[in-house]
Order: sequence, then structure tokens, then C-alpha cells
Amino acid sequence: MPDASLALRARSPTRRSEALGAWLLTLPAALSFALLLLLPTLAAIALAFTDYELGLIPVWIGLENFRELLADRGFRRSFFNTIIYVGLVAPLSVGLGLALALLIEAGARGRVFFRAVFFLPVVSLTVAMAAAWQYLLHPTIGPVNTLLRLIGVTGPAWLSSSDTVLISLAAIGVWENAGFNMVLFMAGLTAIPRELREAACVDGAHSGWSRFWLVTWPLLGPTTLFVVTITMIRSIRVFDTVAVLTRGGPNKASEVLLYTMYTEGFTFMRLGYSAAITLVFLVIVLALMWVQTRVLDRRVHYG
Amino acid sequence: METTQMLERRSLGIAAATAALLTPRVLRAQGTTDITVHYAQPFIFKESYDAIAAEFAKREPNIRINWVTTPNYQEGMQLILRQSATGQMPDLSYQGFNRLRLFAERGIAQDVMPMLRAEGEPAAMGYSPSILALAHFGGMQAGLAYAASNPICYFNADLVRRAGGNPDAMPTDWPGTLALAARIKALGGGTEGMFYSWPGDDWMFSALLFGHGGRMLTEDERDVAFDGPEGLASLRLLDSMVKVGGMPNLTREGAQQAFAAGRLGMFFWTTAALRGTIQQVGRNFELRTTVMPVIDAQRGRLPTGGAAGMLTARDPAKREAAWKFLRFSTSTEGTTLMVRNTGYVPTNQLAIDEPRWLAEFYQQNPLFQAATRQANISIPWYAFPGANSVRVTQAMVDNQARVVEQRATPEQALADMANEVRRLLPRPRG
Amino acid sequence: MGDGRTLLRDLPRLALLSLLGLIILSPYIWMLSASLKPTDEIFRANLALIPERFAAVENYSRVFAQVPVGRYLLNGVIVCGGILFFQLLFAIPAGYALAKLRFPGREWVFGAVMLGLLVPPHVPALPLYAGLAALGMLNTYAALIIPSTISVFGIFLFRQFFRSLPDDLIHAARLDGMSEGAIVWRVALPNAWPAATAFAIFSVVAHWNDLFWPLIVVTGTEYATPALGVLHFHTEEAGDDFAALMAACAIMTAPLILAFLVAQRRFVEGIATTGLKG
Repeated sequence: MPDASLALRARSPTRRSEALGAWLLTLPAALSFALLLLLPTLAAIALAFTDYELGLIPVWIGLENFRELLADRGFRRSFFNTIIYVGLVAPLSVGLGLALALLIEAGARGRVFFRAVFFLPVVSLTVAMAAAWQYLLHPTIGPVNTLLRLIGVTGPAWLSSSDTVLISLAAIGVWENAGFNMVLFMAGLTAIPRELREAACVDGAHSGWSRFWLVTWPLLGPTTLFVVTITMIRSIRVFDTVAVLTRGGPNKASEVLLYTMYTEGFTFMRLGYSAAITLVFLVIVLALMWVQTRVLDRRVHYG
Repeated sequence: METTQMLERRSLGIAAATAALLTPRVLRAQGTTDITVHYAQPFIFKESYDAIAAEFAKREPNIRINWVTTPNYQEGMQLILRQSATGQMPDLSYQGFNRLRLFAERGIAQDVMPMLRAEGEPAAMGYSPSILALAHFGGMQAGLAYAASNPICYFNADLVRRAGGNPDAMPTDWPGTLALAARIKALGGGTEGMFYSWPGDDWMFSALLFGHGGRMLTEDERDVAFDGPEGLASLRLLDSMVKVGGMPNLTREGAQQAFAAGRLGMFFWTTAALRGTIQQVGRNFELRTTVMPVIDAQRGRLPTGGAAGMLTARDPAKREAAWKFLRFSTSTEGTTLMVRNTGYVPTNQLAIDEPRWLAEFYQQNPLFQAATRQANISIPWYAFPGANSVRVTQAMVDNQARVVEQRATPEQALADMANEVRRLLPRPRG
Repeated sequence: MGDGRTLLRDLPRLALLSLLGLIILSPYIWMLSASLKPTDEIFRANLALIPERFAAVENYSRVFAQVPVGRYLLNGVIVCGGILFFQLLFAIPAGYALAKLRFPGREWVFGAVMLGLLVPPHVPALPLYAGLAALGMLNTYAALIIPSTISVFGIFLFRQFFRSLPDDLIHAARLDGMSEGAIVWRVALPNAWPAATAFAIFSVVAHWNDLFWPLIVVTGTEYATPALGVLHFHTEEAGDDFAALMAACAIMTAPLILAFLVAQRRFVEGIATTGLKG
């Protein structure tokens, strides 16, 4: 009673100072956001409507770039390849990450060791790993095909054949992302109280699988949503492996949106056109996030 | 509009050059002049530039050089374009031959001919017309060729012998070469017969095209000229490399690695890769090199790759210092040092003709001779006009991929290639 | 079910993990093996991991001879450290304000943060480059650090974390007369250590490996980062000096791996306590 009135009286004059304090605290971040992210992004978007090339003066050309985009076979290919890549990498790396987390968390032995082992791909330098992958997947002298030859199968030209290049890149993408997702899932799992799992056991859910399905999986909901979101964002931004291993080839079979954006802007010097691709990319990503929050968020059970 | 701008810039350049020549030399005896020099691919060229710089320092102790490098030619071109917009260009930049054209068109490169003539008759100093042609773009001498390369055939002598061939008498035409490749492939065990380095850019395709006597664009550069019989024959040859020679679908790096591992019989690629290949092959097998198979003995030509030094300095003192270095790096001493350290083809005729410079080098390094034997049929690497020049080469590579993967006939691929390139050519402006 | 499983019953799980681990680690194993071999042994068609001729000394010394390794590593530390410092400086107060304070426009700010998460770094790159060039700041530590000082991911992470911080703690501090700013750094941050560690690892890894931005703002070797150091050995025209390339990769990746091994427990705790439950 006396405390409540004290609190009441204390609140009104401090409401404004609270707001002021909040603005002061966010000011540095807001300033740098505006200067380093917002303004350059807007400038880049504005470029999408010009014919800007490095070293020349830009001229406003309206929707011309977008018209060219729609007619460009390379861009359409790039668009579909990116969708396929995300469609392969996201579920597989989330699934593998979850599986690894469950396996490691299931026992105390080797937890620290295996955690480090599976997280290593995340920490690695892509340029470095690219050379290694290029050798591992080499059609004639690489270990993968050599092993396949031992069991009598002729392996395809993983990275140089139009049929298999996207799948190979997706496999590398899963390799890169699984460890990251594993750590996120492990954190989510440790947050689930052990009592709940034991209670489920008492209630009759004896097998590990039913325990997982009834208790663990629903409680992992928020974590899973987070992991899926992060993975989709990371995989739609695929660039490094394409730039180093395949350069979009053969014949655009592994061309992806960000790589197209890069080559148009920095290799072909057509920065206006490149900005147009970026704009399309942003719109797609936003649409994806909107759909996902609508569809998945509803299904998540917040403990 | 474009041409008047070009003319304006070019005359500005000539005016600046003349002004620089006529202004009395300011006494710089006291201070040193600092210049910034840029080049690409340090892994290949660093030792050559270091050696040349050391010799240069003995002759010009008052000039200090700051070095800037980029991993490859593409990055080098972007560097200059970015920095020309912000006014921080290096004073001298060694660019890939086919990139010089863009710099000439944009007024970034300067005409070095007046400065060269001021020192004497170019041919007498070793700058023959064909060597000068390598860096002649946009109607001016946009630079001086520093290092040249052309396509050669690397082969595995051990595999050739096992397939019944003679390493000292390799086939001199393509039918013979493809037959040999098929025999090597028949040896089995995952061994492949040949690889022609078509991926990457248009250079190796132009080797086939020029080899047939064809040309890329028409004389006035308004239209495509490679869609004629020479172009069709070139794509058909590519097709038969797969069908007859059994060429595998590899990336160029993959092919290089397979070759070094002793799993590839013949590898067609630039002589620039020779040093690296020697290292990679090591003691794995006997490495040999020879000239490309001849297609048309009269009209056949080969493209020249490599780099030329482009002068970009505006400040008169720096310009003169940079010019001195450029001149020295392409002189007989300079090109000799370059060859000894890289294995590229020399770019000074005197160094080629007079035995005292390089005879000993070639005697001790016979593998490097193959490229020099083709010097007389080497012509400049064709540079496409206009802003889309880089995109054009990509369109050509993509369509060749279709032929190699056997997803399109040579006729189809050629037609598509011509259409796509046509669309990318600069439209004539009034 | 518990941790007390016998080794025998645990074996299938451990075996499966070991097999997967071997597959995951295979590129590394090959990279290390290649860095120890002379170039002509690397591409032999057999699966030999041990080199016939031990060439580690010549490969690694070639890297040190051609590339100023110490300088690159130092630059990596300076750049990543600088970036991390400013990121924390900006993100922690902002995350706190978004989580704990009410003020008009809060939802808009948070919305902006979420949108910022979706923009890839390549988008603002060119205008930022032009701006830095106009200010004459290219090829400096500032150019490498400044664009990354805004981390919307960091703001998001700390906001999530601070939401689960008990309000009583903050009320008590307020009644003690502390200003909001003091609360952030003296009360909130000490409790946010796990989240800060997690964020630090994300940030350092991302920027140590970054190739795209250093490639366009840096020329020469004075300010080059580790990723650029590796690129030196990779050329288009004449192929790679593979052995040295692999050795360079090993050298430039090692510090990250070591740092991760040291900090990994804090890292997992940090993720766990950032309120992933929503």
C-alpha cells in the first residue's frame, strides 16, 4: 500500500526521463544505423533505377533495368537456383543440426570434444575450404570418386556437370551450417528442464522417441523457429562457395542471386543493373520472412 | 557523342604529354620522387618486378617505388576504375592486354608513343610493330607490353609413349592429336586423353577461331564475325574433342590437377602456367611441351595473353619517373629479367633476336621454348568494344559449356552465342 | 535415462558421432596433409595422407617469405577487436533500451532492427565505399572497422537476453539513484556476460573470414587481413601454389580455432541464456 503509492507517484515524472534515457541509449546505434546501413541501402536502391557504371555519371532510366531482368535468361536461372539451394540446405542442415545436438546431449561423454569438432566448419575460411572441397570432389583423382570406384560406381563430375553442381554446393552448404545449427539446438535443449523429461517417463512415455515427440520437440519450438529463420537467411545469402568453386558455371547451372549481383556490379561494372537485382533480392527475402512468420509462428508453442 | 568525348580526352592527353615534354626539367637532384606501381598476380610476377626494381634502383637512385598488387587482372581493372573515380590511381599499372581497351576508351590510359619516339626509333630499341600492336587500343599506344604468353600443349611423355606415340614427334594437326588422345584414354584406369582449357574466358576459343583464320567482330566492330564458317569449324572441333578425343567435363583447375597427378595425357593452356605446372608435376612423370596443332598453315594465328604497363600519372615529375620505369621494364634488360623469373614470352625484339640475352636461358629450360616458336603467328588478344566487354566473354564461355556437355549442337550454340553477343555490342550512337 | 550409461551402451552413439565427425573433418584433414607435402605429391591419385617427403618447413616458410604473416594476423586482431568493441558499445545500450524501457517509437526501432537483419552486407557496400573514398579514408583501419560497427544482430541478441533479466534488479538500481546509462554498464552488462561471449564469437569469426569488404577497400599489404593473405596464393592465370596455399590456410585459420576452443563453453551458455524460449 505505501509502496504502491510511492511507486505511483514516482512513475509519472520519471516516464519522460525514462523515454529520454532510452533515446540517449539508442542514439549511437541509431546514428550508425542511419549512416552505415539505412542511407547506403537507400542509395543502392536508388541506383537500381539508373544505368550507373563505375567511372561514369549515372543517368536515370526508370524501370529499364527491371525489364531487362525479366527477359534475362541468366537472372531467371539464378532465381530458381537460389530457391532450390535454400530448399535443400535449410531442411537438411536444420535436421542434421538437430540430430547432432540430440546425439551429443544424450550422454555426457565427449560432449566438449564433439561440439568443437562439428562447429569447426563454421569457423573456417571459405577460400581455404574451397580448395579442399575442389580436390575432394575431383572427378578423377578425388577421394569421393575414388571410394565410389572401389564399390564399382562411376561418380559424376560433381562440380563441373550441370546436373550435379547445385547438389554438390548444397552438400557443402549443409556441411557449413549443420554445426552452427547444432550449437543453437544444444542451447535450446539444455534450457528444457530435465524434470519435464523425467516426468514424461513416469507418465508412461518410455521410449526415447515418444519422449522426444511429446516433450522435447514442442518445447524446442521457439528454438526451431529461430534456427530455421537463421538458416534460411544464411543460405539465401550463399556467395563464397559459388564465387570460389564454380563461378556460376557450368553455363549458369550454379548461378545464385548474390553472385549474379556481384558479377553484374563488380565484374561487368554495371552497378545500376546490379542494384536492381539487389532490390529484387530484398523483396524476395522480405516476402519469405513474412510468409514464414505467418505460417510457422502460429504453430510454435511458447512455454 | 562517344567519339567526340574520346577525341577530347585523347587530345587532352596528347596536350598534357607534349606539355610535360616541353616543360624544362625541374631540378630534383635533392629530393626523391615517389611513384606507385601496380601489378596483378604477385604469385607469378613478384620476383620479376623485384629483380627489375633492383636493377632500376642502380640506374635511378632518386626514384622510389611503392608497390600495390591485386590477386588477378580482374581485380586490377576494378582497382583502377574505382580509384580513377576517387583520384587515387597508381602512377603506373600493369593490366591484362584485353583490359587496356576500356582504359583507352575512358581516357585513363595515356598515349606513350610521343615519349617513346622522343628516345629514338622504336623498332631500333626493340619495339617491333607486332609488339607495339599488343598494347595499341583506342587509336593510341595505350601502354607497352611487359609479358606475353600464348597457348601451348603440355603433355605427359610417359603416357604418350605407353599409348604408342612419340614424344619427340607429336601430331601436328588436330585429327592426329585427337586420335592420340583417344589412345591415351583407352589405357584405362581413370586416365583421360586431353583437356582443352575452354572455361574461364574467350582466350582459348579465340585460339581455335584465329587458328581457322577467323575474326571475332567485323572490321567496323558493329557486328559479329565469328558466326561464319571459321566459328562453326571451331565449335565443331570442340565437339569432336569430346566425341573423338574423349575430353572429360572438368573445370580448368580440375584438369590441371589431374594432369599433375599423371592422369591426363595432354593439357592445352597458356604458357604462363608453365612454372606452376613444373612445380606441380615434380617427379611424377616426364613433362614436355610443344606447339599447338596447326589448323590453317597460312591464315592461322594465335592470341597473345599477358600484361602491359599503362601510364596513368598526371603529375609531370611522377609521370616522368613512372615512364622511366616502364621503359626499363620493357627494355632488353628488363624483359630478360622478366623471362628468367616467369617464363613468359619476351616483349622486346632485340632480346629475342640477339642471343646474348636469352639463349642460355632457353638452352637450360627447353620447356619454355614452345611458346617462343609460336611468336611469329601471335596476334593481339581481341578486346571487345563497349561497356559489356567482360559480359561478352562470359556469354561465349557459357555457350561452349553447352557443346562440351553435349547439350547443344555446335550449330545451335554458335547461333545463340552470336545472338547474345550481338545484343551486348554497343549500339551505334549518333 | 541419465548420464550414467555404461561405456558399452554408449558405444553406438559414440561410434556414430565419430563417423560423422570424420566426414565433417575430412576437408581439414586433407588441408593439413596437403600443407605438409611438396606440390607434386598433393595431386597423386592415391589417398595417402602422410607425405613421402616431409615438406612442411619449405611450404610454411614460403608462406612467411611471400606474405607478411605477422602483419596480416595483427591486422586481423586489430580489425576484429575494433569492430567488436564498437559493436558492443552501440548494441548493448540499444538492446537494453528496447528490452526494458518504454519510449515512443520503440516498436518502430525494433522493426528497423529486424529489417536490417535481412539486408546482406553487399548492398550498402558500394555507396559506403564511395563515401569513404570521398573522405579520403580508404586503405585504413577506419575503413575496415567503421561499416561493421552497426550490428543489428547484436541489438537483437541483447534485446532477447535483457528481456529475461529480472525487473527487480533494475528497479533497485533506480531507487539507488543510478542513471539509466550506469544501469546498463554496471548492472545489466555483468549479468550479460554469456550473451556477450556468444556474440563475440559470432562477430570475430564473421569478420576474420570476411573477404568481400577487405578486397575492395584495401590495397597493398599494410592493412590486409588474413583472408587476403590466403588469396595471394590463388591466381587465375597460372594456377595455385597449392602447397603454400594450404599452409597459408592453416596459418590463418589456426587463431580462430584456438580462440573458439578456449571460449566454447561460455559460448554455448551464452546462446542458452539469451532467451531462445521466446
